[in-house]
Amino acid sequence: MTALLASLSLAVSHVVTVAGLGGEPDYEQRFAAHAAEIEKLLKADSGTKVITLSGAGASRNAVINALQQVARESKADDAFALILIGHGTFDNTDYKLNLPGPDITAAELAPLLDRIAAGKQLIVNTTSASGASLMLLQRPNRTVITATKSGMEKNAPVFARYWVEAMRDPGADSDKNDTVTALEAYRYADQKTVAYYETQKRLATEHALLEDAGSGDGARAPSPENGKGQLAARFPLVRLGAAQKASLSPEKQLLLKKKEELEISIDKLKYQKAAMPAEEYRRTMQALLLELARVQGAIDK
Amino acid sequence: MAPLRQLRPVLVGLCLATQWACAQTVELSKPKPKEKVAVTVSANPAAACWQHKLYGRTAEAVTCFTKLQESADPMARAEALWGLERYQDAVYQFQAAVKARPTDITPRIRLGTLFRQRYQPKDAGELLGEALELDEKNTDALLEMARVAGENYDRKAVEMVKQALEINPQLATAHELLARLSAEESNFKLATEHAEKALAISPQSVDAMAVLGAIDLLQEKPNTTWFERALKINPAYGEAYNIGGELLILNRRYNEGIELFRKAIATRPGLWEARARLGINLMRLGKEEEAYKELSATYEAGYKSFPVVNTLRLMDSYKNFQTFRNSRAIVRLHKKEASVLEPYFSSEMERIMAAYDRKYGGPVGVPVQVEVYPDHEDFAVRTMGMPGLGALGVSFGPIVAMDSPSGRKPGSFHWASTLWHEMSHVYALSITNYRVPRWFTEGLAVYEETAASPDWGDRLDPPTIIAIRDKKLLPVAELDRGFIRPSYPAQVTVSYFQAGRICQYIAQNWGYPKLIEILRDYGQSKKTPEVFQARLGISTEEFDKRFLPWLEQQNSKIVTGFKDWQERLKTVVTAYRAKNWDIVQAEAPALRDIYPEYVEAANPYEMLYEMHLAKKDQAAAMAELKRYSKAAGRDPKLLKELARMEEESGDKRAAAATLKRLLYIAPAQDEELHRRLGNLLLDEQDNLGAVREFRAAVASKPVDLASAQFALARAYRAAHQIDNAKDALFAALEAAPGYRPAQKMLLELTSSEKE
Repeated sequence: MTALLASLSLAVSHVVTVAGLGGEPDYEQRFAAHAAEIEKLLKADSGTKVITLSGAGASRNAVINALQQVARESKADDAFALILIGHGTFDNTDYKLNLPGPDITAAELAPLLDRIAAGKQLIVNTTSASGASLMLLQRPNRTVITATKSGMEKNAPVFARYWVEAMRDPGADSDKNDTVTALEAYRYADQKTVAYYETQKRLATEHALLEDAGSGDGARAPSPENGKGQLAARFPLVRLGAAQKASLSPEKQLLLKKKEELEISIDKLKYQKAAMPAEEYRRTMQALLLELARVQGAIDK
Repeated sequence: MAPLRQLRPVLVGLCLATQWACAQTVELSKPKPKEKVAVTVSANPAAACWQHKLYGRTAEAVTCFTKLQESADPMARAEALWGLERYQDAVYQFQAAVKARPTDITPRIRLGTLFRQRYQPKDAGELLGEALELDEKNTDALLEMARVAGENYDRKAVEMVKQALEINPQLATAHELLARLSAEESNFKLATEHAEKALAISPQSVDAMAVLGAIDLLQEKPNTTWFERALKINPAYGEAYNIGGELLILNRRYNEGIELFRKAIATRPGLWEARARLGINLMRLGKEEEAYKELSATYEAGYKSFPVVNTLRLMDSYKNFQTFRNSRAIVRLHKKEASVLEPYFSSEMERIMAAYDRKYGGPVGVPVQVEVYPDHEDFAVRTMGMPGLGALGVSFGPIVAMDSPSGRKPGSFHWASTLWHEMSHVYALSITNYRVPRWFTEGLAVYEETAASPDWGDRLDPPTIIAIRDKKLLPVAELDRGFIRPSYPAQVTVSYFQAGRICQYIAQNWGYPKLIEILRDYGQSKKTPEVFQARLGISTEEFDKRFLPWLEQQNSKIVTGFKDWQERLKTVVTAYRAKNWDIVQAEAPALRDIYPEYVEAANPYEMLYEMHLAKKDQAAAMAELKRYSKAAGRDPKLLKELARMEEESGDKRAAAATLKRLLYIAPAQDEELHRRLGNLLLDEQDNLGAVREFRAAVASKPVDLASAQFALARAYRAAHQIDNAKDALFAALEAAPGYRPAQKMLLELTSSEKE
């Protein structure tokens, strides 16, 4: 994670959000509200280009046009995100996102996405049956998140609600670096989804997955052990206030460099934790944390 | 043979019930109008073999059954295979016999009996229903059906036995069964009458002797000779002790019941039903090692009843639990929630024991063990060996098992109220040496819930209102019947309510100490009429004459106007759904005031709160939620909303009090609750309270661990526990090295260290 900390300073540059067909007024409103809130949250970062398609505007052609537009505009060092909200279906062959008019399948989305040059890509499919889209959408340098583990989980998921909440809740920024990454948002939304079913005493009808290795199955709990989550940890989804300012303050680059070195040392130390005496680990970690606090204090001045 | 009873939700322990709780039903097939067919009743071809088995002549029985299994008659083969304990093969042969003899009632009755004995009451009920369709006056079928119903505490059991006796008054087995059923209801007079009738008809009625022996023991006559008399007739009849043991267990005389099960096994080592009961009841008393040994032996011997299998599985899962002990209490919590719940359960146990030591005149002599199950079905298995129990908690003397607050939907369960209820049983059973009648200990426990806090306990519910209106409450002298063998579905919950109000009435009119005096009288095996006369100076009949009108008067508004209230509520709910706020505003206050205890779905408080919000009157909305909370409303969402409004209006103390109430309802899986309360307590300078709350927030495994640890560090620092503050701060920064507020505190603590 730390080796690419610098790249976190890049904003997500293009976002397409699609809120599909609700079927019922309640779902229609809910999907559109999620999409609108995502747009609002992302537009706070001035460098992000946001396309939001919802209601009658979220037609198959509109989705194709939006992705073609991003393909024309994006560059290799950009970060691109596609967020799908709504009802999905799976007929044992195709995953389809329900849209006004003709639906769009995962097989149709995949080549459209492959034409986008952005070096970092994130696909968040929060629909029912979205697990069926994972294999078709996965690719190197792309993180794919689905609300369900397969096409057989067909009930309307609640994952989207918590994904949006992750984008607005500072609590989702678990490492407090003022950036909510795709991995942090995934963990936040997944944990909240699990808690929702537990507290409601309902059998969970959705199990989210994350895949960012470009191959293989998605993981429920991404970790170094299962080789998932490294790319997602480097995908900056939402910036909170301080990070934006830091990235706009070039005079503090020297201190930022020192800060990054300390953060790398801290990360390395964490990996060595199991192999070293607890007291030594704590002493060394305390010293690094104290130094980091001092450097941060200087940056903030 | 005496079968292991399957569904024992009501009587094995003292449970706090939800609606329909503690009562389960197995649908019994009802006889349909009989078609005119020539029904035959065949003799049991294995009668002689069964006699050998009954009298403990094992070798002869095996020889007899082995020979019989060569028979060409599937019925004979079925009996032989049953006798040889090849149960599944026996079922196949019985099914063949049923098919081969469509008008013969006997194969159906026998297969029904086998099913009942092999833990399949539903299948048994179906078969016996078919038998009664063929001949509704067959007394064997009626009695067997009564046994199935009796195992489920269905009132139909008594009716069916009476029906059999009308057909044949000289049926000794019917009198034996009625004796047992009456003894289960603690109606020892009637039980004795029927046992004596059975013996008069057939002096060999060993089950009647077992019932009489159990009644003697229950009536403090330890030198009873009835068991010996039964054994003189059949020296291998361990079932006599088994029957007696069960009747003692049903009356919560666990230790004596266990001793009878031991005697049953000593008399007949292969009596696996008795060994299974021994294991399950040892477990109830917390003697887990021995219980596991007995249950494993039972299982290994092929006696794999659901209670045995379920209980062994549960015991295997105990490795996932964590135990906290002090000199007086043992609290067992599931590891996944132990660190969140332990502080609340341990401190509540201290509070309860301090209160009850004072009220009941001293401590319980042994440590009390409280087991808390996040999976309700584990709790059910712990209680009766079977899933599907409606209760919330149960007490077996000094052992309490209960649902965890995480085991039920937040807002539907008040764990602290349940704990106070069950702990009241622990004291009542201890003081009376397990002699307290069920109705009184339940009534006292219900009373103690609301004595602990007026907003605890169960509210007056619609089935109880209807029962009061329809004059369905039982006389106090017969109230036990409402718990043991209810005659209508809601009678158990109605009886809880009635018993609780009786204790309230006594406390109000004679003073609380009278309740303890009554309890002590029960400890001397005195009966309710005698106790009431001595302590209250009136007969139970006179008590009923005073109490029932008082109760009706207390609830007169809703009892007399319930139907009208229901109709008007429907109208208001329709208006509420349509957001027709003017109708809600006009109608809901009156409905709320007629039935203030109604805080469940579509309650007037919530509708009025929403109406005030829609009309942008925040103060009125908050006032409505305050009323809701005071009336014992428990929806966490509404209570959190009330706390938010109270905080925003500047009343942080009230906000903290509201959230503290929620700790008793839904403390698990709610990091937000602990954080919010922690912050309020910090503001109130209740630093140790804040530490407790932030520790719970950290233990809830939050997504944002860093800020939870940082909040804990703040609380520790405020409580001047600097080393703990540093530990929490370290944990916060380890999770989020760049967390600025934590960094700032680190610099401050480091700088003050240097100074």
